[in-house]
Amino acid sequence: MTDYGHELLFGAFITPTAQPVHQAVELAVVADRAGLDLATFQDHPYLPRFHDTWTLISYAAARTSRIRLSGNVLSLPLRQPAVLARSHASLDRLTGGRIELGLGAGAFWDGIEAMGARRLSPGQAVSALGEAIRVIRAVWDAERAGPVTVHGEYYQVEGLKRGPAPAHDMSIWVGAYKPRMLRLIGRAADGVLPSLSYLEGGPGDYATINQHIDDSAREAGRDPGQVRRLLNINGTFSEFGRSFLNGPAEQWAEELAGLTLEHGISAFILASDDPSAIEEFAAEVAPAVRELVAAERA
Amino acid sequence: MTHPLRFGALVTSVAGARRAEELGYDLIAVPAAPDGDDWTLLTWIAGHTAKAGLVATGLDVARGEPAMLARAAASLDLLSGGRLELALTGAHVDEVADIVRGVLDAGETGPLRYLGEHHRVPKAQRGPLPAHRIPIWLSGNDQRSLRLAGRTADAWVADLDVIDAGELATAYKLIDAAAIEAERDPSEIRRILIIGPGLGPDDLTALGADTFLVRADEIPELTAWETLRDAAGPPIFRPSSVRAKRRPGIDYDGVPASLAGTAVEPGDLDYARVRSTYMRGGAPGLVLRPRTTAEVVNALAFVRRHPELPFGLRSAGHGMSGRSTNDGGLVVSLAAMNTIEVLDESRRLIKVGPGARWMDVAQAIAPYGWGLSSGDYGGVGVGGLATAGGVGWLARKHGLTIDHLHAAEIVLADGSVVRASATENTDLFWAVRGAGANFGVVTSFEFEVYDVGNVGFAQLVMAADDPAELLVKWGRAIEESPRDVSGQLLMGPPRPGQPAFAQVMAVVDNDDPETIVEQLQPIAAIAPLYQQNVVLTPYTGVISNAADGGYHQGAGEPISRSGLIEHLTPEFARAAMNLLASGAVHWFQIRTVGGAVADVAPSETAYAHRSANFSVIVMGSSQRRVDAGWAALAEHFDGLYLSFETDLSPARIEEAFPPATLARLRELKHRYDPDNLFRDNFNIKAAKR
Repeated sequence: MTDYGHELLFGAFITPTAQPVHQAVELAVVADRAGLDLATFQDHPYLPRFHDTWTLISYAAARTSRIRLSGNVLSLPLRQPAVLARSHASLDRLTGGRIELGLGAGAFWDGIEAMGARRLSPGQAVSALGEAIRVIRAVWDAERAGPVTVHGEYYQVEGLKRGPAPAHDMSIWVGAYKPRMLRLIGRAADGVLPSLSYLEGGPGDYATINQHIDDSAREAGRDPGQVRRLLNINGTFSEFGRSFLNGPAEQWAEELAGLTLEHGISAFILASDDPSAIEEFAAEVAPAVRELVAAERA
Repeated sequence: MTHPLRFGALVTSVAGARRAEELGYDLIAVPAAPDGDDWTLLTWIAGHTAKAGLVATGLDVARGEPAMLARAAASLDLLSGGRLELALTGAHVDEVADIVRGVLDAGETGPLRYLGEHHRVPKAQRGPLPAHRIPIWLSGNDQRSLRLAGRTADAWVADLDVIDAGELATAYKLIDAAAIEAERDPSEIRRILIIGPGLGPDDLTALGADTFLVRADEIPELTAWETLRDAAGPPIFRPSSVRAKRRPGIDYDGVPASLAGTAVEPGDLDYARVRSTYMRGGAPGLVLRPRTTAEVVNALAFVRRHPELPFGLRSAGHGMSGRSTNDGGLVVSLAAMNTIEVLDESRRLIKVGPGARWMDVAQAIAPYGWGLSSGDYGGVGVGGLATAGGVGWLARKHGLTIDHLHAAEIVLADGSVVRASATENTDLFWAVRGAGANFGVVTSFEFEVYDVGNVGFAQLVMAADDPAELLVKWGRAIEESPRDVSGQLLMGPPRPGQPAFAQVMAVVDNDDPETIVEQLQPIAAIAPLYQQNVVLTPYTGVISNAADGGYHQGAGEPISRSGLIEHLTPEFARAAMNLLASGAVHWFQIRTVGGAVADVAPSETAYAHRSANFSVIVMGSSQRRVDAGWAALAEHFDGLYLSFETDLSPARIEEAFPPATLARLRELKHRYDPDNLFRDNFNIKAAKR
């Protein structure tokens, strides 16, 4: 039983489809009005059927008023760390602190390479992500004197002007499944963001994820509680319980509360492009999970 | 070719952008390197404004892969409704601009491959297709930059803080010379100038730019400069790169003024959206997109001046029989004429434009408790279907779509606009219900619709161990069913190692679940079911089966054949299953007609084969093989339904229309379209005099 005690977050994981043009924005508006905490968007820039995710996030931010937004997760190999830092900080200031940074080391390398970026091995991609986090935090560290200088193997930054700083203490959430990346998260990131559909052993796999992160965090002298545990989930609302996250909202709530108490997962992001599912998740599931978890924690 | 004068304001906040929009500025510009990220700020502003153009005046191309920049530009252009202009600066901007253009050129087939000295793109997929042709601005006052702008840019931007009037004039001359050398018209290149406040109209005129971006602490009102604005609307401007793709024999410069703004030619960005149809690839030379009846009249006048060219008429581009796209010819697309209105609620009378889609019609009238059976797919357009027949989900209960036509407004071949109904131009009213495509462009349809509540919708997958027997049993069950039941049966060729099956769909126009189950029972009982799904749904839930957004990207030529048949006899069923087993057709579909369809006398409309109970359709890819296989079925059919027939042989006309009907149609063709303007869809030859 591991619970890191984080305040619970509920979100939507939205396909950034470019047709219909405003579908993804409208779903973010639905999530905002429904009271969810997060509107997040996948990022596959090599696929032209999707919007550019950062442009979409910036536009959706302008069309929403309360909800926090992030990539889920942004493809680092096709995005410059310094630009990620500046653009996120800018939008965070414009929105009054509603932006988080979701980052991934790159998944579909054929597509990444086709766009003109360099193909990296899994090990290289982990190192590159570590360097990128250093660059990003250095750019955000606007108070510190002197320009940003990072001499990395993958990113070389020389004499870059610092700032702007984000409006709030922005989190870096990293999509990850494998030990090396999980250990990096334990050392340097603020959250881990896997997808349930990629956990081969189901939600129970989260125990291993936590183990790697917690060990690495302690080795680095960090409190494991500094790393938020997030999860993209998928499921079906149905009248009668059939299987995990396939049943009525009360069943969902019990199952998700179980994940919080068992594995310390504190953010559930529903992969759905169905407005009614997003609304049901916000109205029926989120409050019930909060209630169940609060009762157990008390 | 001169550009209309434009004014823009440099802003760094939503408040500034909104103020600029209020004051009537044409462009909202975010300066290079504000405090933070300029692209993010511009997108944020886009989400808070509605009309003005958007540009970040100095976007540093080092911010990411050029192909990513193009994706971002396409997204912002789409999200903002086509308001983006893209000003690029930085190292190797020439290569970046080439890549950006290549990625945005989503009408090109195949991925973008670009091997520059500094940037390499191995094979990026193109797109998304932006909302409009995004102008690319370049800058730089040195000779190299100026020559690059002259050769390739849509605009060149300079800052009056950095360049003086004399240098500016010299720069413009260099740009002009480079443009001419590249065989461009120098006036294609917009001249953008960033200025401070306080300059008068004469100062601006002397500077020679066509777009002024004002940098000021307080955005000035435009009143002082208003006199410079062109009172006329912006001219239609097509750069030489677009004109180079024009096709021979088309008087592009003679497109009527009312249509010029919406016309699409092969070099235009929108061409990718309009060239092809749902099933057919095309490369028309010009697509005219009238929005009103008057514009249809103008469009037909233009078509009449090009008698030697193919001419396609398109509502939503789903047709198989009609050639609503072509190669090098003209297309008149009625997509913009898509209004749906209730004319008289007490008489359930609605008025619909030819470009509306049937799912939109269904959704618009559902709140009144009404429906109108159309086809089986919601993306189909009103015009083509409602001039041919309309065999839909409620056909046995309510008849064909044309059976509910109350009146039509039609533009005839000579450009005259007439109304046809039971009391006006009755010959035409008869012809338009079944052979409408030969007689004119219907610009509005008035339908008398009917009450439709919830319906039962069944989707069954049935074992077809003996497919011929299944066909016969299904046919019998349908004929014995009450009229509430309509539907279809679909079968593909047998696949080795897989059990044979048929997909059966049925709509029961009844809102009582028990009655629905009762009426479906005899159909469900004809064979074991692999899958079954029955739902009670509004009619809109059955017909709303097409995606929104996107555009047709059909390729090649569909091959389909159609036949109408009274009963599915064992002889027919065996022959049909032999054809399916031969592999010559991809699938075999049988839709139900009969019932209310047969209540209308054959002589009452140009669609005359009223006694048929079934409409049979096959699709394949080889004309020869499909025709050869189909010939073995011919003896069983009595007529065909032209909306599902692609064969252009004259013999098909005689099958579509019985002799008396055809004779009358030919007389009417002589009267209404003697020069055969409307010839792309089952051409009926005028009777000779």
